[in-house]
Amino acid sequence: MKILVPVKRVPDPATTIRVAPDGAGIATDNVKWVINPFDEIAIEEALRIKEKQGQGEVVLIAVGQQSWQEQLRTGLAMGADRAILVRSDAPLDPLAIARVIAKVAENEKPELIIIGKQAIDDDSNQVGQMIAEMLGWPQATFASKIELNGDRCSVVREVDGGLATVAFPLPAVVTTDLRLNEPRYASLPGIMKARKKPLNEIAVDSLGVDLTPKLKIKVLKTPEKRQAGRKLGSVQELVAALHNEAKVI
Amino acid sequence: MINFELDDDQKLIRETVAAFAAEQIRPAARAADESGVIPPELVAKGHELGLVRGAIPEAYGGYGDARSAVTGAIVMEELAWGDLAIAVHLLAPRLLVTPLIEAGGAPLQQRWLPPLAQDQFVAATAALNEPRFDFDPAAMKTVARREGQDFVLSGVKCCVPLAQESSALLVYASGGSEGFDAVEGFVIGRETPGLEISPREENMGLKGVATYTLTLNDCRVDRSARLGGESGLNFTRLLSESRVAIAAMAVGVARAAFEYARDYARERKAFGVPIATKQAIAFMLAEMAIEIDAARLLVWEAAARLDKGENGLKESYQARNYAAQAALTVTDNAVQVLGGHGYIREHPVEMWLRNARGFAVLEGLATV
Repeated sequence: MKILVPVKRVPDPATTIRVAPDGAGIATDNVKWVINPFDEIAIEEALRIKEKQGQGEVVLIAVGQQSWQEQLRTGLAMGADRAILVRSDAPLDPLAIARVIAKVAENEKPELIIIGKQAIDDDSNQVGQMIAEMLGWPQATFASKIELNGDRCSVVREVDGGLATVAFPLPAVVTTDLRLNEPRYASLPGIMKARKKPLNEIAVDSLGVDLTPKLKIKVLKTPEKRQAGRKLGSVQELVAALHNEAKVI
Repeated sequence: MINFELDDDQKLIRETVAAFAAEQIRPAARAADESGVIPPELVAKGHELGLVRGAIPEAYGGYGDARSAVTGAIVMEELAWGDLAIAVHLLAPRLLVTPLIEAGGAPLQQRWLPPLAQDQFVAATAALNEPRFDFDPAAMKTVARREGQDFVLSGVKCCVPLAQESSALLVYASGGSEGFDAVEGFVIGRETPGLEISPREENMGLKGVATYTLTLNDCRVDRSARLGGESGLNFTRLLSESRVAIAAMAVGVARAAFEYARDYARERKAFGVPIATKQAIAFMLAEMAIEIDAARLLVWEAAARLDKGENGLKESYQARNYAAQAALTVTDNAVQVLGGHGYIREHPVEMWLRNARGFAVLEGLATV
């Protein structure tokens, strides 16, 4: 089975994020970049499916700058077979990203696209859903378990208040939740081998998709520092404060 | 001529091993130190990184990576940053694998490498150290005597990691005269008659990993067990590789202690300000950082010489000596920065100090 896994480059969740002086983004100096953790889970799941079936191909795709190669190499070191970098030096909207990936998917013809439910930088939670819609494929979001049976797929989804199981025919798009699996470490031999695996670069303009931005970040601000709480002497004072100051009752 | 930039593979290797050390090794370190047991699941996970198999040629079932002492030094530093005892355990088979690849000769390689290239961790080790205050690898008291077609080994070796668990052991012995050229290596099975393995040693540090004393009571071994066959081996290079590995591990332990002490000093307040802002602490932390970087530069130079094909005897000796002292100074200072907290076992710095003491007395505990 051929599985396509879109990968995004994001700041390490452990990095302290600072807003850039112009307020249009984050300061990127001294930031460590990693694969979006949800996408890492998607890579792991694709590798497990391939290992279980004993055959298949795991193809990674990223839409971004030259430096995104680093994350693709990491994915190849984990065990993916090849990678595609759709080169775009300008940042793209989730909609444009979805269009690019859907376009590449039309050529690649994977039977499954597994993608993180959201990226931990902008938390859009849109790309997977939009790809499925553009391709006219079934989608299952927030997967905590994926089971394949012939050309059908069943996914356990984490939803508010419990778990929901959905079943659908392939090809399809699945987005991963945190509890789907625990991604492996790339092995040192895997890292050495990754260099020899194919990483093809495609210019984004060559795909002929509409990249017009629909979103504009006006300003990013650090949240205001929370004020320390204060102790009140009695319930009456608390009620008065909630009523007069917080105006919630 | 000089370039300290890691290549892309080395960067990724360092990141990967660092993540493994932080997420898997470090959380298990204290329990291993207390109980003397490293969980088999952790060993299995560590083995999956390919620390041993990566070095074994494809012909013998490994992955046949190009070995590099510089890359090895980077890996050792990160593993030891996680925990020294666990690092020594995971890397023990390399003590046999590296000499076999460098000097073994095809028959010995064919016999001993394939079992170590498996998916499961298989223990193997080497015996170099001897229990004497004046131990000198150039003048070992363990001797190999020729008797007809065979060799007869006699002497005592100590601090041999995983000896009881290993099916194959490499024993270094003097062929007679003094000097590195006289040193011979023999790969023997654990069941060799005359080989006596002590109960597990009780050490000051490195308590997680099992080490043993070996007594060789006139062990008769076939000449086919001799490393390098009739031409013998280049012991100087093997010793240098071991010293670079130990030095890199010393840097890792020192860095662990420095980072812990630094973070503690930033958090801990005295007189309303973090103690890191007090000169007495700040100067100490600065000295620690300098020692670590200086030691690492010596390690990298020695490793780079090995990668160029040189023996690097002087450089690796200097690296080992300097890094061993730096690790002791830095871990000692880390205990001091934490004050009373540094002395109690709730914080890891006392464990790192105990572990660091070993670098000055132990040879042959690891190899790049």
